[in-house]
Amino acid sequence: MAYCMTDAPAPLTAETQSVEAPNDAPRVKVLLTLVEGSDFDAAVATVSRQVYDPVPDLVIVGKAESVPDGAEVAVTLEEAIAAADQSTDYLWILHSDARPRPDALSALVEEVERADAALGGSKLLVAGSHDVLESIGSATDVFGEPYTGLDEDEIDLQQYDVVREVSFVSSASMLVRRDLAQGLGGLDEKVPPVAAGLDFSQRARLAGGRVISVPSSEVYHQGRCGGKSRKWREQAGRLRAMVTAYSPLTLLWVLPYDFLVALVDSLVSLLFLRWRPGARHLMSWGWNTLNIPSTFGRRRRFKKVRVLGDEELFRFQARGSVRLRVIGSELSNRMLSIFDEDQALAKRSRRIWGSPGIWGAVLAVFILGFSMRSIIFSGLPNVAGSFPFEAGSVALERWFAGWNESGLGSPDAVHPSVGLTGLASILWFGAEGAARTVLTLAFGLLAVVGMGRFAGRLGLRGPGRYLAGLVVIAGPGTAVLAGSGSWTSLAAASVLPWAVRAAFVHESEKDRSHLSRFGWVILIGLTLASLSPVLILVPVVVVLAWKVWGGQGSRLVLALSGLLGTAVALQFFYSDVGWLLEADRRIGLSVDDLWPVLLVVGFLPLVLLEGTARRIGSLGVLLGLAGLLLVRIPGMGPGIEEASLILASFGAAMVVAAGLDRLTGRPKHLMSIVAAGAILFFSIGSLADGRLGLPSGDLSERLGFSVSLAHEHGPGRTLLASTQRSDVPGEARSGPGYWYRVVDGTGMTHDEVWLPSPRDGDEALDEALRLISTGSELRPGEVLAPFAIDWVVLFGPEFRLDEVLVAQFDLVPTPLDPDSRVFENPQAVALADAGADSAWQRSASGFSGDLGSGRVALALNHSDGWSPQPGPVGWQASVSAAEGVASFRGDSYSVAMAWVAVAVALLGLILVIVGRARR
Amino acid sequence: MRWVTLLLALVLAAGTFFVPVLDAPGVETDVGVSPPPIAVCPVEEGSGRNTNLSVLSTVDGPVGLTLFTAGESAGSLASATGASGSLVIPVVDVAAVGTVGGLVEMPNAISAAGSVVQGAASMSAEACASVPEAQAFITGGSTAGEATFELHLMNPYAGEAVVELIVESEAGTESNSRFEAVIVPPRSSTFVDFNDLTPGRESLSVSIETIKGRVNAIGRLGIHGDTGVWRALPGAIDWFIPVPKGSASKELIIATPANTEIDYQVDLFTPSGAEEAFATGRLTERGQHVIDLGEVTEEAIGVRVVSTGPVVPVLRWSSPDIGVAITTGVVVEANRWFLPGASTLEGGWATIIMLNAGIEDSTVSIRPLRENTSVRSFEVSSESVLAIGIEEADGYLVESTNPVVVLWTAQRAGSTSAAIGVPILDG
Repeated sequence: MAYCMTDAPAPLTAETQSVEAPNDAPRVKVLLTLVEGSDFDAAVATVSRQVYDPVPDLVIVGKAESVPDGAEVAVTLEEAIAAADQSTDYLWILHSDARPRPDALSALVEEVERADAALGGSKLLVAGSHDVLESIGSATDVFGEPYTGLDEDEIDLQQYDVVREVSFVSSASMLVRRDLAQGLGGLDEKVPPVAAGLDFSQRARLAGGRVISVPSSEVYHQGRCGGKSRKWREQAGRLRAMVTAYSPLTLLWVLPYDFLVALVDSLVSLLFLRWRPGARHLMSWGWNTLNIPSTFGRRRRFKKVRVLGDEELFRFQARGSVRLRVIGSELSNRMLSIFDEDQALAKRSRRIWGSPGIWGAVLAVFILGFSMRSIIFSGLPNVAGSFPFEAGSVALERWFAGWNESGLGSPDAVHPSVGLTGLASILWFGAEGAARTVLTLAFGLLAVVGMGRFAGRLGLRGPGRYLAGLVVIAGPGTAVLAGSGSWTSLAAASVLPWAVRAAFVHESEKDRSHLSRFGWVILIGLTLASLSPVLILVPVVVVLAWKVWGGQGSRLVLALSGLLGTAVALQFFYSDVGWLLEADRRIGLSVDDLWPVLLVVGFLPLVLLEGTARRIGSLGVLLGLAGLLLVRIPGMGPGIEEASLILASFGAAMVVAAGLDRLTGRPKHLMSIVAAGAILFFSIGSLADGRLGLPSGDLSERLGFSVSLAHEHGPGRTLLASTQRSDVPGEARSGPGYWYRVVDGTGMTHDEVWLPSPRDGDEALDEALRLISTGSELRPGEVLAPFAIDWVVLFGPEFRLDEVLVAQFDLVPTPLDPDSRVFENPQAVALADAGADSAWQRSASGFSGDLGSGRVALALNHSDGWSPQPGPVGWQASVSAAEGVASFRGDSYSVAMAWVAVAVALLGLILVIVGRARR
Repeated sequence: MRWVTLLLALVLAAGTFFVPVLDAPGVETDVGVSPPPIAVCPVEEGSGRNTNLSVLSTVDGPVGLTLFTAGESAGSLASATGASGSLVIPVVDVAAVGTVGGLVEMPNAISAAGSVVQGAASMSAEACASVPEAQAFITGGSTAGEATFELHLMNPYAGEAVVELIVESEAGTESNSRFEAVIVPPRSSTFVDFNDLTPGRESLSVSIETIKGRVNAIGRLGIHGDTGVWRALPGAIDWFIPVPKGSASKELIIATPANTEIDYQVDLFTPSGAEEAFATGRLTERGQHVIDLGEVTEEAIGVRVVSTGPVVPVLRWSSPDIGVAITTGVVVEANRWFLPGASTLEGGWATIIMLNAGIEDSTVSIRPLRENTSVRSFEVSSESVLAIGIEEADGYLVESTNPVVVLWTAQRAGSTSAAIGVPILDG
């Protein structure tokens, strides 16, 4: 048994005290257990210095190189205990890395005798320290998790010096009645000392003995035997101790409960980027599974001496789970520290409410909560650009060079945010709806916290920095973007302050690991680029501008590293560069002319201020105005339009943060407060609806008939059209006098918001709609049937299609939605038509169905990526039915680009983990 | 630096004012309207009556007929116009039906269809309607004495139609809940029998206001054992009607669907020349006037009706000897006309009446559409009318050097019919 390897110095000073023990004092045998790496001779010396009469016999347990004169030797502790004859009253089990004071044994014997206890433990102090307490006997929870009640590095001021019953004592120094020790069979040699102590203490108590802590017996302990490398063994030992001691009834609930606690601990630890707890739990359960036979053997042996029930153990146990309490405490500390950079809350400062920014944070969170009330209580709207996530695995499959199902389908890449939503859904255990809501709420919070932390890193401390977070998500640009339903814009705006912040280093953090910093820059860059790829340039711009202004703390190399995040959007850019450059695809949003004036007015008072606030205000006003100007420059696509608008809000937020930094009555400050307050006021107005400015409505519900009334081959597609651009969700194509697009009949999802570049099928559909729009086609259903269009839904004011569809023969007007005109197309073909009345069903991002010798016609744009045996039929794809599945894989370039993004993400993650580990 | 920043900010702000906001991307221009080449025809079968549908076209192309009733197809036929560009479909060969609607899909936009119903002692003819308007008006109905008047609402489309009827008679606006929200189910017909709802009315006019969907409406008037069929049309301010010769009562009924007073003027074109403002008058709200053209002359004449507001004129021609014929006017003159169904009937005769309301003489050629025919040419003087007898054919194509208006009429013992031609406007 050799667990402790710490080679700690000898006790500082062993007081030499003359304690006279009576001659009829109990006889004690010292069982000195060898600990690997400890100074054995010193251990023997400290034992020999014990002031106790009669002089205790010494038994060396383990393989000692040299045995002192008069000492016995035993290979195992069990053997040593068994060898003790009846003349011995007590056994003092002592580790060889323990350095007891000379009076430690006599104190132990005296108090154990006085308390009529069976087992007593010494007060353990950390060797080599100034009386730092290690253990004073512990309570545990029901799972044996020790709860010492000691603060970290708590000094022994004799504050715990009272003899009391405890749940267990450490096996580093314990005095046990010889008869009890022999009855119990000694310590469990398969488990480390703390767990062994726990096990022995529990069995001793159930055998009718009392377990006490004897603070007057002081022992310096060189090694913390439950060191890092042995933690899983301690956990395993505790689990084994439970199984040995508890009755079957208790085990029936305590084991599943322990498993759940382990699960929660593992998952929460993963959130904090700690993988070890999970691994420890895994190894602990694995070890116990392997050792079930020996555990049950011990349990059988113990049953013979057990005299009390589990209630006796419960008396000394803390309620609930110590581990869960620690997790909760850590979570709450982390949450509080998000807002409280000064860590006033975390340090339990009495001046919490005097902490700079805390009032701003509280007010901002309150407003944010109000602004998200509808999302919290009713969920997110499903309109415009805000739609449910697809199943996580499917979304990731699509992102990883998979089939883009939007419109009539395309091998072009999906929007990079699809990967992020897929990941979120998987992390949220496949509950896409919950993941979407939680992610949205988190983004709201991230905006407030991120802006607060960013401005804090630049040197602001006032309340404005958190309130400015509201301007990030509701400022001039993001308000119109959110109003148009752009969920990703809201999310991108929330991440932007973090991305910019990551390129700045605070004075106090200069010594921290660079690796971790680079890792975070990359990870945040990936997140930002996945939401709004063009925004990835903003941190670089901000850093450069900050340097021009002479600001401190910015790191260009960090900002440039963030550009690696673009990897996540490479596929998207590669397949749809028009998203950046095609002006006719712009969303067509414009910001009120009031905003440039507000920004300048907000900045004017800051000109008069000195220092950081002026510098931040300067940068903010220029960024904001540049954003507002950029959006008016022709020749730019929706990607740049979106980024410009978000930049405008970010700039406005910086002006607000600077303007509201100092709440004093000085005229200069008052002016800046009023001006920044005006910007804030005009911004948060758009949040009053409780949906973070997103439009209301539920298109999924309105179009739910496409699922409930689907043909037996499942829902196909729905054609949506309107003269009002905002009526058609996501991107839309321009038709003759109206906007239109097709959506998935099973309900539009997030990945469908963006339409890929038109292909043959899209052109065929465009031609079909032109023909129908002339009114010359009497059977439009027949014309739309090859596109698997089951339903035609017309929104908004009546227009050309209404006129022509009122006089046709095969689209059946169906009053399913009071606010639109709905036509059913009974002619529509199945999305995957295998012929002979057979249709394949969707399966992940492909299709599956009955095996056959023929071919399956897919009502999708043809691509050679479909398999098996792809072949075009006009604009459509077709595959062989031989394998019963149709699946798609993108070209090697797309796959390579996806792998690059994965590699960059892994690089970021590894840097963070390694950096944290180094820290 | 602070002032540089301020200057930059002001420049950028000014930029946002001087650089105009980009227009939001717009939709493409609406495509031109191209009505489908279809016609909706009234069909009457049974009780000794048979309907022949005549399809005329400038091309040899496919023709489809679907008889729709009770929400479905009661029978259909696919055929072609052949080399002559004409086709006559006896409905009895397609399906055994009663009074239903027939949807004719024609070869191209330069096509026309007409319906000719013949019974033992009755006959009616009318050109079939194309894509209907949302508002239409029909006048010339009567339920007085032995007269019967029925409105046949046909909906050949996939969607349900709902119409509201505003019925005006000499008693004023008729009130009846059955005139409100009249439902015409898809691919069905609905009949409104005015003898049940408004019996004993000398004159009846009906505005058909479409609330939902589209319907084609025709009126069916029974007098003296004969039946006249005519279409509901939207009101207009300029109308032409050729009038056949004969001694029977020839009434020009001018009515307005408008809720205002409307002045009108009737110009008369006789073989001897034109008489401008032969009759003038003022129609009260939704009112109608009847001008007896039989008193003017027995010869074929023509009239032009101009008004200050929307009116619809019809010509009702009846007597106990010849039964009744009724037809609407047209709002355009044209150089080419189809006369679907125009033909001499067994035991009777048929005539084409051409009105040249222009100031130049016109040379008109008349081409019977059937196999092995010959073209005849005539001179129609300016502001005059010419009536020409015709032979048996699937229909006629009339071509003129100057715009004219054409009507055809047929008579048999005790029955007569008249149908205005179908102008070919884009040929």
